[in-house]
Amino acid sequence: MKNLKLASGKKEDRTIVKVSNAEIGRGFVVIAGPCSVENERQVLETAHAVKDAGADMLRGGAFKPRTSPYAFQGLGLRGLKILEKARQETGLPIVSEVVDPRDVSWVAEFADVLQIGARNMQNFSLLKEVGRAGRPVLLKRGMHSTLEEWLNCAEYVLSEGNPDVILCERGIRTFEKYTRNTLDLSAVPAIKELTHLPIIIDPTHSTGRISLIGPMSLASVAAGSDGLIIEVHHKPEEALCDAEQALTPDMFIDIIGRLKALKSFLDNQAS
Amino acid sequence: MKLEEIRRKTDKIDRELLVLLQERMGLALRLKKFNLTVTDPEPQEDLVARAEHLNLDLIERSFTRQLLNTIIEESKRLQEEDRQLVAFQGEHGAYGEVAARRLIPAGAYIPCLEFVDVFRGVEDGHFDLGVVPVENSLEGAVTQVNDLLTTMNLQVIGEVKVAVNHCLLATEMTDYREIRLAYSHPQALAQCREFLSRNKLEPRPYYDTAGAAKMLARENPKAAAAIASALCAELYNLEIIKEGIEDGPSNSTRFLLLSRKPYAGDGDKTSIIFAVSHQAGSLFGVLKLFAEANINLTRIASMPLRTDPGNYSFFLDFEGSEKSEKITRVLEHVEAQTISMKYIGSYPADSTTA
Repeated sequence: MKNLKLASGKKEDRTIVKVSNAEIGRGFVVIAGPCSVENERQVLETAHAVKDAGADMLRGGAFKPRTSPYAFQGLGLRGLKILEKARQETGLPIVSEVVDPRDVSWVAEFADVLQIGARNMQNFSLLKEVGRAGRPVLLKRGMHSTLEEWLNCAEYVLSEGNPDVILCERGIRTFEKYTRNTLDLSAVPAIKELTHLPIIIDPTHSTGRISLIGPMSLASVAAGSDGLIIEVHHKPEEALCDAEQALTPDMFIDIIGRLKALKSFLDNQAS
Repeated sequence: MKLEEIRRKTDKIDRELLVLLQERMGLALRLKKFNLTVTDPEPQEDLVARAEHLNLDLIERSFTRQLLNTIIEESKRLQEEDRQLVAFQGEHGAYGEVAARRLIPAGAYIPCLEFVDVFRGVEDGHFDLGVVPVENSLEGAVTQVNDLLTTMNLQVIGEVKVAVNHCLLATEMTDYREIRLAYSHPQALAQCREFLSRNKLEPRPYYDTAGAAKMLARENPKAAAAIASALCAELYNLEIIKEGIEDGPSNSTRFLLLSRKPYAGDGDKTSIIFAVSHQAGSLFGVLKLFAEANINLTRIASMPLRTDPGNYSFFLDFEGSEKSEKITRVLEHVEAQTISMKYIGSYPADSTTA
């Protein structure tokens, strides 16, 4: 692959992105939380629940890129303040999406990791802006993008002087309609061959089905993923967005338990 | 004008009316210190009648009369309440007022232009109490205040440490993404330098943090924000864009509560100011007295003597009450070993770590 001066680099020198106590690229990092920030109670309750279950970071969108302009667009600045409160209460670092270059420095004031969503993967002016924001970037794979296109986007961030890029596979669009997208698990080992950057899996958006989230989470561990980003809502039936694919805290506890058992089994085999 | 704009303007005017009334009530309370009520020496009727003659076509005379009478009745009622007048330096919402509210929760807080106005006002009996900053954990002593403590005859009866929690404030109509300027006191701007540069905001010096917030609320300049306390957001109806925007580790300012009379109780902290002769070991001799008596010093500061350049006065805070025998004895010795010694009060210490 051409022009990936920074993203390909020395593969054996793997990038480890440090966010407070979490290290993405070493061990297995679990990021959990609601799709969008709806109100203070929802975020705080979910944050405490995922923290107790063993999550390492909290996710939550204050700015939502929605398919329809009439769908809930997020609370904006008010949402960011709620996330900040959740961090103060639980100590969990915050991952939050940014959709507008004008918002980048402000989201960076509140969030620990800036997320670039699948729909914005090739928004180059946004990529340049987050490259200069001084915060790690979680770069989701566009639903129609090849690995090379994706890594070129990572290169945009890296070339602005930001070495902390976390890649996230969230499913690609295929002819299959049963699942929301098709989780491309082969991307995990492929990315490890192509770059030194860490990669995590989003089992929620890739499947869009609660019943598939657990098995795919386990599969991602086996494939060598560095972590997961997963939607959890304290009351999924009340969620303003993606209600049908958010886990309850109990389901999340069950999955994380099995995940850790598998991870330690694999680690023992390796050593 | 659009409907929304008219509503916004009405809302703004209502708030301004209330802020003006608040100012008027403050003045009424101050009038009490001259042993006058609002309507002396002018009878209420004359006052109302004079206002009636203003030729305002939309304000009926009967309405003027009713409104003014209501206001005057309310100020009389307030005068009868026994609220303490607490003076601070700066505009409403200044960190001095944050400290005053903490020290005297149900007072009437009166803004003063300068520190000396606070000291003089208390000394002359125009205010019951005064609140002044004496030192900041990052910037050190507030020299003007320390100077006034030496020259004026007031007693320290309390202290409070207020954490400096700078907030970026903007009016509700301002889109945070369009903010380009930040108005505040130069010291506050300096404490938030990194935040400003990260967000590409141009610092604009203003005479006071709370003054900047007040100006923002009144004039709503384009693309502008202010850096001030969270209290300012409440008082001037501004939105807090971000709290705690100072760069460094949290810093705090220590404020003293001043009164004409000494603290009635025992207190657990004492402050003195003294000057020593220009001789080897004279300062050491004084400090030794405290060491030998096993008294813990909490602050030592020196300041050049204005009246005698080249010589210094020393500010000493230590644990314990002046009423304790041990301290009385040490202070007698201190007095004997110094050119001058001024006891400025024993008071309850603020033990919070802010």
